[in-house]
Parts: sequence; structure tokens; C-alpha cells
Amino acid sequence: MPAILAIAIKDLRMLIRVKSGLFFALGWPLVIAIAFGAIFSGSSDGPRRMAVALADDDQSAGSKAFAAQIVASTSFWVQVCKRSEAIDLVHKGRLAAALILPSGFGEASGQLFHGRPPQVEVWIDPSHQAEAAMIQGVLFQMTMEQLQKKMSDSGAMRVGLHKSLEDLKSSDLPPDQRASLTRFLGNMDRAMAEMPALSSAAGGSPSASWQPLKIEQHDVAIRQEGPRNPFEITFPQGLLWGVLGCTMAFAIGFVSERTQGTLFRLQMAPIGRIQLVAGKALACAVACLVLETLLLAIGRLGFHVVPNNWGLMALAGVSTAAAFVGIMMLIAGLAKTEQAAGGVGWASMMPLAMFGGAMVPLAFMPHWMAQIGVVSPVRWGILAFEGALWRGFSFEEMLLPCGILLAIGAICFFIGTRTLRLN
Amino acid sequence: MPEETLLKLTQVTKRFGALTAVDGLSLEVQRGEIFGLLGPNGAGKTTLINCAIGLLAPDAGEVAVGGGNPRERLVRARMGIAPQTLSLYELLTAEENLSFFGHLYGLSGDRLKERTRWVLDFVGLENRKRDAVKTYSGGMKRRLNLAAALLHDPQIILLDEPTVGVDPQSRNSIFDSILELKRDGRTIIYTTHYMEEAERLCDRVGIMDGGRLLALDTVHGLIAEQGGLPRLVVNTDGREIEMLTADPLAELNRLAASAPIDRFRLDQPTLEQVFLNLTGRTLRD
Repeated sequence: MPAILAIAIKDLRMLIRVKSGLFFALGWPLVIAIAFGAIFSGSSDGPRRMAVALADDDQSAGSKAFAAQIVASTSFWVQVCKRSEAIDLVHKGRLAAALILPSGFGEASGQLFHGRPPQVEVWIDPSHQAEAAMIQGVLFQMTMEQLQKKMSDSGAMRVGLHKSLEDLKSSDLPPDQRASLTRFLGNMDRAMAEMPALSSAAGGSPSASWQPLKIEQHDVAIRQEGPRNPFEITFPQGLLWGVLGCTMAFAIGFVSERTQGTLFRLQMAPIGRIQLVAGKALACAVACLVLETLLLAIGRLGFHVVPNNWGLMALAGVSTAAAFVGIMMLIAGLAKTEQAAGGVGWASMMPLAMFGGAMVPLAFMPHWMAQIGVVSPVRWGILAFEGALWRGFSFEEMLLPCGILLAIGAICFFIGTRTLRLN
Repeated sequence: MPEETLLKLTQVTKRFGALTAVDGLSLEVQRGEIFGLLGPNGAGKTTLINCAIGLLAPDAGEVAVGGGNPRERLVRARMGIAPQTLSLYELLTAEENLSFFGHLYGLSGDRLKERTRWVLDFVGLENRKRDAVKTYSGGMKRRLNLAAALLHDPQIILLDEPTVGVDPQSRNSIFDSILELKRDGRTIIYTTHYMEEAERLCDRVGIMDGGRLLALDTVHGLIAEQGGLPRLVVNTDGREIEMLTADPLAELNRLAASAPIDRFRLDQPTLEQVFLNLTGRTLRD
């Protein structure tokens, strides 16, 4: 086995046996990628529902039917409770709104074309205008569905018409309006009386197929305008955290060789400085690439993290690994002790991670922060991964982040190997 | 058998800034001998060893190992070193450590397995070969350090203070191993500041101080040349008489003629005395 490979295998074996190093290389990145992704995503299954409280003060057949319709709605997640409790839940901010069916709702909903309309109280924070509008729209839709249902059932419709005709007799409407409405309802009743025959002849109620408006929704995925799920943001962050963990583990390990004397035996062996440095670099690069592959596999299999282009993803992975191998060598070259390597290394890595987007996603980062982040290799690493994952970068567009990463790696590697003291 | 010089240092000088660690030192080590390098801390032993193994380039003078320059890889491969600082990976097992070091020296396959088995058996660690080094005692680590030096079957073995921090049992085991290596015809350079170790093991001894070689000879030769006269201590007539004498028997006869001798003791000079005579201080100062 070539000496370079032997050094690399030994270093990888050591990495696996240092539990703290392994945690920062694999455990922490997974926490970042999965936990934060899950926090940002909420439920990704099906359409989002608005959480509302529902109180039925009326407890009539009409109000119960409407309440059942609300509960069955795909627009709401409903907690049924009493009026005071419903309002309190909104006050406390636990639910978006409270829907209350007040007393008299059932009677009002039974009246056709006259009298007070059925009323629903909506309790909602005034700042939630969009939610309020949505609730109104959904409730109107439900009312129309109820009306449509009534009209499709001629028997039930005629019962309602007869009750309305009776109510009109004692109504305080002006006489001409009352006469006009009585004629309209009478004509409608007659039409409904003929409906069963038409229905059976047509094989179904003709009015059931009538709708005032039919909206047909088609799902169109927005192309290349953003991540498809929050994991596509958190996994690149996790990848960079993992690479940072590997970098630090190998930098400290390299310094340990010097302080603990094993480097002396390596120097005594018939291998050159180049082989020694190359072995170390290879181990770090392999660890970074294995880690990247592992995280991407977990993302692909469990979290719908699917690169747009696997080739570009490989380019991003190799470029990032190369950059951080150089940084590892720089830290190992400059630090005299493990404490110095760990302290100075992490102290410099944390700001790079923060401004580079490993903590706050690049997409949500304030402009000034993003400007500072330009100097961070973490930023270019994340950008390269995101480019291959969801930003839809072309090969030419990938050249900028990957080229910068490779340049950073080369410069750091050169300075690191020049300053590296083997004795 | 004609003598063959395996290590030759000629007027070697090594400076670190204003400090001259090795000062124009010359010596030769012959094949098959155990050469002891004695000196207190700061005498220049480690710098000399580092020059000998090619880790440091001398500022002046020449170093030759088997006729070659130890800074060349192939020449360096002829040497094995057990440094004073344990050079082992504590997280790896003994077997993994040796396998790694073996690969660096170009060993592989059956040859590597065979050498690994041999050195582990040689230092008595065969039954612990799959345990992580961090679980070893200090003595076991020293023995594994020695095993790593022997793995590639080197011509010259450099043992730098190989018994520091070692329990008596492991110390004896290491001594036995070193004597066995000598019987096998290996050349050993042994640095220590324990005089009794040098007396027990070394064929020749060089005494260093201040970067210079103060004396170089066999142990007996050094004692005879530099140790001074034996010390005779006699208890007679209620008194204790102490004297340095070249003829203790004649002195005893002379004293016995005047008064009966209760008891006497004869202290032969040691390397410690040699060192004291040469440097004016003891080795552990």
C-alpha cells in the first residue's frame, strides 16, 4: 500500500474513533439539516389548514349542519369549543380565528329569499386581513353549497318554500313586494313539484349539476425560483457544518502528531514531506466527500432533497472539499498546539460560518450580512450546493463559486504547507 | 570477523542560534555492538541522534550510515528508532499501529504479517495486540515503541532513553530484548542517563557534555582510565578508615598487622565516578 494511502486510512480510522470529532463531522450537520428543516417546514403533507375554533351557540339542526360542514372543510383545522373558550384561544394566539354560530342561525338559514340572513361571527386579530378574507370566502362557498344542496332536493326545497309562503302572510313587507315575492315563491314551488319527474328521467337531479361558478384548479410547480422544501436550504448548511467539522478534526489531529511525537516516527520513515502532507490532505478530502455523500443520500432518501444536476453537485462537493482541505492545512501549519488549533480554528470558522450562511440561510440573510459573507468560503460552498440543488445553476454559473473555492483551497494549502513545521 | 563501521560521525557541529548543541563531535559505531551514549539533560545527545538519523542536517561535519547519507530515504530506512517520547497512536491497537508503520516502510502482505507477529512476540505483547494502546501500561507502551522500531528489520537501532517511566518488570523485559538483538548481530545505539543500564548493556560508552564527547571506550576501559582508584573502607579498633588504593590487599595486610580488622568493604569505581571525574558533577544534576 502506498504511504499516502496508509496515512489517509490511518487518519480516517482515528477520526472514527474520536467521538467528539465524529459528532461535529456527522452528528451536528444532521441536526442542522434535519431538525432545522423540520422546524421550518411544518407539515408538508397536503394543503395547509388554518387552525380555527368553532362554537355553536344555536345548537339547531341548521347550525349543526353548517358546523359539520366547517369541520369537514379541508381549509380549516377545527377545535370545537364554547364561545368564551373560542375567543380566548384567539386572544392567546393559539388559533388564528374563532367562528361562532350565534343563536337564531338555524332559523335564519331556513328562510329563502327574505328575512335576516344567517350570521356567522368571525373573531380574528385585525392584523390578519389575509386570513379574514380567506375565512369569508370559505364561508360564502359553504353557504352556496348548502343552497345548491337544498335546490337539488326538491322535497326539502318545497318544505322551505311552503314555510316561507306562510311566513310572508304575516310579514311586514310592503304589499307590492309581498305580492311579488309570493308569486315568485309560488312559481318556484310549482317548478319544484315537477322536478322529481325530470330528475328520474335524466337519471339525476338537473339542478344538482348546476353551479353558480366552478373553479378548476391545476397545480403548476414554479420552476427554479426557490427551494422545493426547507430541507433544500438546511442540507447545504448541514453539508458545510460537516465539512467544517472534518476540517477542524484533521487540523487538530495533524497538530497532535507533532505535539505527541508520532510525527517524529513519520519523518523517520522513508517517506518525503510531500507524501506526508498528501496523505493528510487525502484523508481530509475523503472524509469530506464521504460525509457529503452520506448527507446527500440521507437528504435524497428521507427528505426529498434532490439535486437538479448530479454532475454539478459532484463538482460542488469536490470544490468544497478541496477548499477546506487547504484551510485544514493552513490551520495545522499556523497552530503550534492542539488547543491553539481548536481555539483559533473554531474562532475563525464561526464568523465564516455565520456570515457565510451556515446559520442564517443565504436566501434570508440581510444584505449587509451577505456582503460580508463574500469573503467566506462557507458562503461559496453553500452557494455551490444550492446551485446544483435548487438554484438551477448552469455549468458556467457554477464556475464562479467552485472557482473561488478552488482558489481559496490552493492559496490556503500553499501557505499552510509553507508554514508547516514538522519538527 | 573484521570490524565494520555502520555509523560514522566526523566533526559534526550543530548550532541553534547562539547555542552550540553539538560541537565538533566524531565517533564511530561498529556493526553488532551496543553503543551507549551517556550524558545529562542538555548534553546534546538528542541533537546528535537527530543528526545521526538524518532528521537534522549538521552545520558542519559529516554523518554516514553504512556509507550513505541518512537524509536519503533509502539510507534512513536502514535505521529504526524508539524515541524517548512515545510515538504511538493511542486510539489504534498495537496491531494497527504496527501495520501502519510497516506500510510506511514498504512492508505489506505476508511479510508485514510475519514481521508484526515476530515483533509483538519479541516484546511480549502478542496477547494484547488487538487492544487500543491507550489501555496499555507505561511499560507496555515502551515495549510497543521498541517493536515499532524493529518492525522493518533495521540494521541500526536507536533507543533513546527506552526505560524512562518503566516498571522493573518491563525494564528487565526490555533489557532481555536488547541483549537478544545484540546476539542476533544488530547494532544498537543506546542513550540513557542510568549508569547501571550502560554498565549492564553497552560494549562501548561515549560520555557527552556540553555538546562534546568527553570520553569514549569500553565500560571497563573507561572505569580503568577515568574512574580512579578503588575505595577501601576498613573498620578496625573501633574506627572506620577510608582510602583510595591501587593495591587493596597490601593495605589490608598492613592494617591487620597493627590491629585486628572487624570488617572491610571495597568499592570499585563506577561509570558514575567516571562521569563525576570527567564533568565535576553527577549524571542526574
